[in-house]
Amino acid sequence: MASLRSMELNINGALHAVTLEPRVTLLDALREHLGLTGTKKGCDQGQCGACTVHVDGERVLACLTLAVQAEGKAVTTIEGLAGKDGAPHPVQQAFLEEDAFQCGYCTPGQIMSAVACIEEGHAGSDDEIREFMAGNLCRCGAYNGIVAAVKKAAQQSEEARA
Amino acid sequence: MSLTDTPAKYGSAADTEATGPLGRVAIRGDGGLKVRGGATYALEQSVENLLHCVLVQATIGAGRVVSIDKAAAEAAPGVRLVLDAENSLALKPMPDFFGNTPPGDTYVPFARDIRFNGELVAAVVADTLEQARAAAALIEISYEEAPAVPTFADERAGEGRAVDALAKEWGEPDGPHAEAGMRFAATYETPREYNVPIEPHGLIAHWEADDRLTIYEPTQWIDGTARNYAGWFDLPFDNVRVLSPFIGGGFGSKAQGLPHSAAAAIAAKMLGRPVKLAATRPQTFTAYGGRPATRQTLTLSATKDGRLVSLEHDAFSETSVYGTFAETLGVVTKMMYAVPNFRSRQRIVPVNTVLPGPFRAPGKNPSAFALECAMDELAIELGLDPVELRRRNEPDHDFETGKPWSSRRLLQCYDVAGEAFGWAKRNPAPRSMREGRELIGWGMAVGTHPVYAAPGEATVRVLSDGSVEVLSSAIDMGTGTYTILAQTAAEVLGVPVEKVSVKLGDSRLGRAPVAGGSQLANLMTAAVHKTAQAARDELITLGLTDPNSPLRGEANTLLVEGGTIGASRGGAIGIGELLAATGRDHLEVTRDTLPPAERSAEERQRMFSTLAGRGSLPEATVSKHSFCAHFIEVRVDEDFGTVRVARVVTALDAGRLYNPKLAESQFKGGIVMGIGMALLEEGVTDPRNGRILSSNLADYRIATNADVPEITAISVGEPDYDATPLGGKAVGELAIVGVAPAIANAVYHATGKRIRRLPITLESLL
Repeated sequence: MASLRSMELNINGALHAVTLEPRVTLLDALREHLGLTGTKKGCDQGQCGACTVHVDGERVLACLTLAVQAEGKAVTTIEGLAGKDGAPHPVQQAFLEEDAFQCGYCTPGQIMSAVACIEEGHAGSDDEIREFMAGNLCRCGAYNGIVAAVKKAAQQSEEARA
Repeated sequence: MSLTDTPAKYGSAADTEATGPLGRVAIRGDGGLKVRGGATYALEQSVENLLHCVLVQATIGAGRVVSIDKAAAEAAPGVRLVLDAENSLALKPMPDFFGNTPPGDTYVPFARDIRFNGELVAAVVADTLEQARAAAALIEISYEEAPAVPTFADERAGEGRAVDALAKEWGEPDGPHAEAGMRFAATYETPREYNVPIEPHGLIAHWEADDRLTIYEPTQWIDGTARNYAGWFDLPFDNVRVLSPFIGGGFGSKAQGLPHSAAAAIAAKMLGRPVKLAATRPQTFTAYGGRPATRQTLTLSATKDGRLVSLEHDAFSETSVYGTFAETLGVVTKMMYAVPNFRSRQRIVPVNTVLPGPFRAPGKNPSAFALECAMDELAIELGLDPVELRRRNEPDHDFETGKPWSSRRLLQCYDVAGEAFGWAKRNPAPRSMREGRELIGWGMAVGTHPVYAAPGEATVRVLSDGSVEVLSSAIDMGTGTYTILAQTAAEVLGVPVEKVSVKLGDSRLGRAPVAGGSQLANLMTAAVHKTAQAARDELITLGLTDPNSPLRGEANTLLVEGGTIGASRGGAIGIGELLAATGRDHLEVTRDTLPPAERSAEERQRMFSTLAGRGSLPEATVSKHSFCAHFIEVRVDEDFGTVRVARVVTALDAGRLYNPKLAESQFKGGIVMGIGMALLEEGVTDPRNGRILSSNLADYRIATNADVPEITAISVGEPDYDATPLGGKAVGELAIVGVAPAIANAVYHATGKRIRRLPITLESLL
């Protein structure tokens, strides 16, 4: 169990060489070994969504993913969402404007889910957004703001495509 | 519709007429960091050379540890230390919030005598988290088990003990009351409920020297927490530094040092290296106590036309076998209505649980559940509309204290929320409204929260570039402290909000009271307001009197605005220019809102790091409370018994709002938590051994996005300067109070079934 393994992880477009035990989760690799603490640990058992990241463009719970499983795949975390010029992603901006959070701890996971929710085409109505964002718990109860933010960003993305 | 775009205007609460930045909508000051993942919470602070600590909790409900076999764990790879009661450092016992001090001359956070399932028994420290976790699983503990009484529903729990301090009586509660043509009695129950902030509890403990401890821990009370560690380790207060820049939710659960906090600090001390500890999600359910289970029997009598004659309230709540915590169940019952004859009594029943603790609107929340359900039932018995019954019992003063209200705009709440909801169209008969398979129910209830007072302290620095810094050990757990303190300083010093930076969450900064009781916003805006005014006065004095001031002799007073200072008729110069001319690079002022008195340093510190600060203030001559009225529509699937909340309209009187958008988020957040309380949340214990069966976020269900409809929150508050210096009242905990009874009342209206025990599940309806 304790044998170390060298691996290369592609996080936010940069390759990181790390040597980890195979039992290290992607979440702990990010937070404890790579200093990328934007991805949050809320339950460590796949129930709260705070650790949501993208692996090859799909939303994934980093606490239920081993770091070795992410080898050779493109991982995107909240830190990698902003544009190259540093401008916030439209979903990040919408969360800010709609006050879609309070304590902010679930927020990176909410935003990563929201980006995917829009990409998946699941932001067609308020009810659809509620359903497809239901895996991300928010104890502060910012759900109304989250729905408004996802809707706003989805509309902007729609307009950009048109 | 939302609070910020509601067309109705009521004083400065939904204010676009605020003349300065305070009272206006402003984007959350710490929001940019939070959406980028750049807000580093306590456990994410970068500390070199960290070790990882994992907790081991008891698996029996009562009894004692016979032996702990640590050998395998100690031999496991990477393990540095396995701690238990045998080898732990002994600390000085410290009282908790509620006055419970562990018995004996010393305190060890690891138990030998087990008093509840999940009590801390051991801890493993290793180089990596994975190593510590694996080694913790190798620890073999043998117990001698004793019978456990897991909940107060167990008949062995008995009737507990009376809490005399909570007993209240006036008039003639025993009657006879010839005029009371109607009498109604019922019993209401709420289960154990847990705060479950999404950020679990934990800390990094770092001994920077033998007698200097730095703690990174999410806490709602920097100064109280620092006092805790200083006491445990017998250090001067100033030798402990507590840092808590962001808090991932607390809701009452993160305000004091807990056994695991002591464990991490002990491990760090023994190993001479910083130690990080995070409770696992299941461990959080016994690492702190949530709201205890409650049972309340209310007996109301009223005249036939609906005027309350008497109210008798008998309340029970759980406590632990080793400490006293009273969920103050009479608090709303005592003050909500005009009741001429009244009695409230409370008993607490010790059971084998972790000591319960404060959870959003402690006391107020379950108190209102019983009272507001009972009022609904009484209205039905009397054939009265439930709003009308409440209007007929609106008190012109506080019957508990005899004092006048500082403000009470509850009638306006009924008007505004009732109209926005469309209450007038309600058919009062149960099961009278439906759409397809769904029964529709409309219910209402009220909520309230007291306005507390305590002193605060702030430092304001005016820098040479005209920017301003506000420094305080107050915290922001999403409540908006960063934002509204910037708005306050900007208001007084006439600078744009963007020019104010706020530093919080560090015990090296000025003292602040606990972020609890919905008090911090009012107390800290007041402290910053006073301090910023003093800074402004010092700038003016500097300008008028310093021999090197270019403004000397210009006028007999000066205006400070827009980053400049000068005479009203013109000729202003930049604040930085004045500072430079007078040989300074900044001006710094610290003020507090303690009543003036001679105090030793220790006494002063006690005012902020214990609840003594509250007692230092003169007794209020008015009764200060926030109020709200919730109007809620539920839809119940007749075949499946599922309840969905379809609409919520709430009107709130919380005085002046310092930032309506952020206040709205708090109001809605409270309502969302109330939906969870009504329909989902239940701590379930194993009747054999008191284990918490629902100790995870799948079994302890909190409201998800899909459970929550669009909520309308309308402020009807007006500035209440008798309540607080800047006119605000209680915000953060107000809106959860009354949601659960409004839902229970709506469920009755939909189905004709009265559910008096939370949560309302499909099993309870079928």
